[in-house]
Amino acid sequence: MEDPRNRQYTNGEITVFWKPSKCIHATTCFRELIEVFNPGRRPWVNMDGASTRKIIEVVKKCPTQALEWKYNKDMDEQSLAANVTYKDEVTPETLTSQNKSPEQDLHKTARVKVMKNGPIVVDGHFEVSGADGNKFRSVVMTSFCRCGGSKSMPFCDGTHRKIGFIDTNE
Amino acid sequence: MEDNTAQFKVIANGPLQVSGNFELFDSEGEIITRQGPVFLCRCGMSADKPFCDGSHKKSGFRG
Ligand code: FES
Ligand code: FES
Repeated sequence: MEDPRNRQYTNGEITVFWKPSKCIHATTCFRELIEVFNPGRRPWVNMDGASTRKIIEVVKKCPTQALEWKYNKDMDEQSLAANVTYKDEVTPETLTSQNKSPEQDLHKTARVKVMKNGPIVVDGHFEVSGADGNKFRSVVMTSFCRCGGSKSMPFCDGTHRKIGFIDTNE
Repeated sequence: MEDNTAQFKVIANGPLQVSGNFELFDSEGEIITRQGPVFLCRCGMSADKPFCDGSHKKSGFRG
């Protein structure tokens, strides 16, 4: 049976398919193209965020085929009709821990990666609290802005690329 | 058992405070530290990236 959490998103030219059951939070998609794949946003995939060519390039890098794509012209009517806006958005952030790698669960640690000229990417086991002291909803992955320019602070929204953020210590 | 879940605390107009069980890596995948708390620059102005060096105060960072 089809997993009811499966989602698909289109820009009219191609459709991107996301299978949560296969998502291992490799974080490849949002490290490479947060303008399109932003787990902090609902819906988490914004097909207007980049060119079709760029989207295909990043989808192909998904190590588990959690993300796949097709040209709309190659899809039948029924699968095209499934390109809808979902009310109950699922995102990689809200997936249950059963999807986390056993290793992450065992160590209960957070992996924090400083990206070259980009954000701080976090995955694993962690909690975030905002400047007001309030806890954010619990997440298994996120990316924090490091360039100072994001419009959705404290999270990265891709602005670092637009403003040409350079980390000279790299 | 002591709960030592990693904590990320966003400090108003300042850095990101990280403590608890975490591993900090640079962009090459080399481990920088496991020992918190660390304060990571969010304003983009630190001369000591990825760490905060207080520059956010001089630059009047809001966020
Ligand atoms: S690091 Fe991505 S928007 Fe600032
Ligand atoms: S946040 Fe302190 S120097 Fe950038």
